[in-house]
Amino acid sequence: MLQVQNIEKYYGSKNNVTKALDRVSFDVEAGEFLAIMGASGSGKTTLLNCISTIDTISAGKILLDGVNVADLLESELAKFRRERLGFVFQDFNLLDTLTIEENIGLALSLNHQNPGAVQNRVREIAGKLGITDILTKFPYQVSGGQKQRAACARAMVAGQSLLLADEPTGALDSKASKNLLEMMSAMNRDMEATILMVTHDAYSASYAKRVLFLKDGRVFNELLRGERGRPVFYHEILDVLAALGGDVSDVI
Amino acid sequence: MTLSKLSLCNAKRQASDYLVYFITVVMAAGLLYSFNGLVFSQEVQKLSEGMNTLPLVIVLASIVVVWVFGWLVSYATGFMLSRRSRELGTYVLIGLTNRQVARLFFLENLAVGGAALALGLVLGGVLYQILRAILFAMFGLPYYFSLAFSVPAAGLTLFYFALIYLYALGKSRKRIRKMKIYDLIYFEKQNESIVIHKGKSRRWVFSVSIVLGVAGTVLLTLRDLTVGIIGAGCLIAALFGFFLSFASGVPAFFDKHPVQKYQGQNLLIFRTLAAKLSTMGMVMAIISMIFTATIITEGSGLVFQGLFRGRAAESSCFDLYVAFEGENRDQNPYLDYIAEHIPVEQSVLYQVYLTDSPTVRDYIESQTAYYYYNYDQDPILRWSDYAALRAIAGYPAVEPEPGKYSIHCMTYLEEPLRNYGQPVTLGSITLSPGGVYTEHFSQSYGMANGRGYILVVPDEAVDGLAVHHLAYAAKTAQPVLAEQYDALTDIAAEEYNRRENPLGYDFVSTKANEDAQVAVQTALLVFPLFYLALALTMTAATILTIQQLSETERYRRQFQLLQKLGMGRREMARALGRQFAIYYTMPAVPPVLIAAPFIFHLARTPEPGVMVGINSPSSIVAISLGIFFLIYAIYILLAYISLKRNVLPQ
Repeated sequence: MLQVQNIEKYYGSKNNVTKALDRVSFDVEAGEFLAIMGASGSGKTTLLNCISTIDTISAGKILLDGVNVADLLESELAKFRRERLGFVFQDFNLLDTLTIEENIGLALSLNHQNPGAVQNRVREIAGKLGITDILTKFPYQVSGGQKQRAACARAMVAGQSLLLADEPTGALDSKASKNLLEMMSAMNRDMEATILMVTHDAYSASYAKRVLFLKDGRVFNELLRGERGRPVFYHEILDVLAALGGDVSDVI
Repeated sequence: MTLSKLSLCNAKRQASDYLVYFITVVMAAGLLYSFNGLVFSQEVQKLSEGMNTLPLVIVLASIVVVWVFGWLVSYATGFMLSRRSRELGTYVLIGLTNRQVARLFFLENLAVGGAALALGLVLGGVLYQILRAILFAMFGLPYYFSLAFSVPAAGLTLFYFALIYLYALGKSRKRIRKMKIYDLIYFEKQNESIVIHKGKSRRWVFSVSIVLGVAGTVLLTLRDLTVGIIGAGCLIAALFGFFLSFASGVPAFFDKHPVQKYQGQNLLIFRTLAAKLSTMGMVMAIISMIFTATIITEGSGLVFQGLFRGRAAESSCFDLYVAFEGENRDQNPYLDYIAEHIPVEQSVLYQVYLTDSPTVRDYIESQTAYYYYNYDQDPILRWSDYAALRAIAGYPAVEPEPGKYSIHCMTYLEEPLRNYGQPVTLGSITLSPGGVYTEHFSQSYGMANGRGYILVVPDEAVDGLAVHHLAYAAKTAQPVLAEQYDALTDIAAEEYNRRENPLGYDFVSTKANEDAQVAVQTALLVFPLFYLALALTMTAATILTIQQLSETERYRRQFQLLQKLGMGRREMARALGRQFAIYYTMPAVPPVLIAAPFIFHLARTPEPGVMVGINSPSSIVAISLGIFFLIYAIYILLAYISLKRNVLPQ
């Protein structure tokens, strides 16, 4: 579904170039749950921004369902984002003037979907994600975990093919984190959502089927969960992180 | 960093964050200074005797203007306090006392006010020159530039500014001193709360406010003081009711109609607006009231100006004009004075005759709201006198039409008189209808060339007709001086006293005197009204703009997110534009609906024939609205450009 081929990203001026991404390549299959890990400054948010077409790459190719995103015009990019990509951010990014239902419905509304069908579609997905009872509330009236569930609903409601999550548990307590990750696993398993999650939290990453490790802008290692249980996978991830030499406070 | 340095830094930041407000305060200082310049200008007061009252009128208007700007500064200061309370709370948190923070805020605002005053005095100098040029043009004098900084005018401006700032800052100082850290840090969370929650009472209030609004507008146009005051009361209640119920009614409407809600960009626009309106209902109502007052003030100014000009234009068509009341009058006292003191280029002494029956007048009465004054029959002029009068007035010559009568009338009677088409019989001569002419011809008073109209007939046709009065018109080499006009009116007074059983005074008019009267009346009434209207518009538009621009950061975050969600830049610009249009249109709609019929009725009050052409009721309504929306549009454009630049992702 997603092919990242030898991408590079440079920042800065002529005399002071910072290489944020250095020949990064990987593929994501449809229905996969992939986590990208790395310490602060390893390039994981830059990578996500490039995939989400918010940022541009300096070299290489990103193909989503065979479409090279670099070939798209500004107006096509906007259309591409709203039809193909769903976003979940660390700080929720819900609009505080809209109710939860409207925040989810906004994605459909932007896609110019039939206004009469919006409410039903929102209720359907809210039912699946267990947030029906908070639909009429405003973001400031619900908990962080509920906000993040709403953000997941918004990221999927318009039938987007790839869900991009940037530190989705970063602002949540451990219980809410666990609930969210279980829900994301269920979305991946039952609703066949393709998820690409960026995180520096080994516990969150252990819910994925595959983990890519970034260091200094390069892919350093890759772990596949296979048939192993989550706790085992979690320890393997910690081992790789130890080998990576990341700060312990970064990974727990 | 000392407290005063910190204040200065904050003042600079405030001036740039609230640039529109700062510009308005500079304009306020400029306006106050320029009008104060008129108060202390000997040169302006010497323009005419009537201008002696100008200082008093300007000071009275300034008191109202100071009150309006005082409200603006007080509102804006309070608003900034609420927006920055977290920052001020932090100062307390790091060890400053409330008293020091209050002083900090006070000094900072004083610095902004001081800078605005200094810039305002420079701008005021320019505005004063513009006012001077307008006044000179009104009095028909050539404008010359004279750079003058008026110390008393600057002193009075400083005094007004001190009043405005001390009131506003005193209020916020008291508020800061009393506040606890918690209040300061969480002050921004406080806001105007939704006043009407229940759907039923909201609908009820909304319906009543519409009824009151219509009733109030009708009552205002009934031209009765008591009824008018009741009408104004109804309108105030209507505006508050409308905005409070409307603000809370919008979300309720969309909640019930999800299809409309999710249509296009409605969701974003209505929610952003509803969030703003639900906390701004009271302010919107006040702004709407200010806008209503502005348009009415501008309209009234234009009506008065039209009235003065309309009346003067009719009687100022001859450089010098005297009509003698009664029959067989001795004109020599006037003519001797004129021969001795006023150089005349061309003159005519003539008689206005009367027909036997008022046939044309009866026709006009049946067609229009004609007001015939003291003519019981149709007035008549000989063709040769008419031709001489046209030459004196500077109008193009017209060819006589043998066997026909012509009509010279005021423009409002032109159409019915063109359609008249009946012959006129004078003794044994019957004349058929000829041309109709409508230049100003001194036809608005009884003792001039008819009231609204006069029939012009071949010279031989007036034989045997009764004479209504005698008159004299002249074209002078120079405009008649004020002293010469006074001498002629003195003669009129002497003549009145000398005659047995006089019915009234002789009628003396000069173009120069009429023009000066218009200039004085305009300066005394129209200038202060426009001064006030400008202050009102600036104040209300600034408050709306401050409210809108204070949301810049929130809008910026919102559009960043929308970009990620796949909204194109063009769509975002369209959503922002629509949101802007609705936000600025809402408080302006009720004022237009209230003020337009009021001004229209006011402009119809003067006698017919005065409010015509550019001064016709519909033109006055259009011009009043045009002036208002022009100034308003400047603010909207400023706010839109600033917001678009700062919130839309590049």
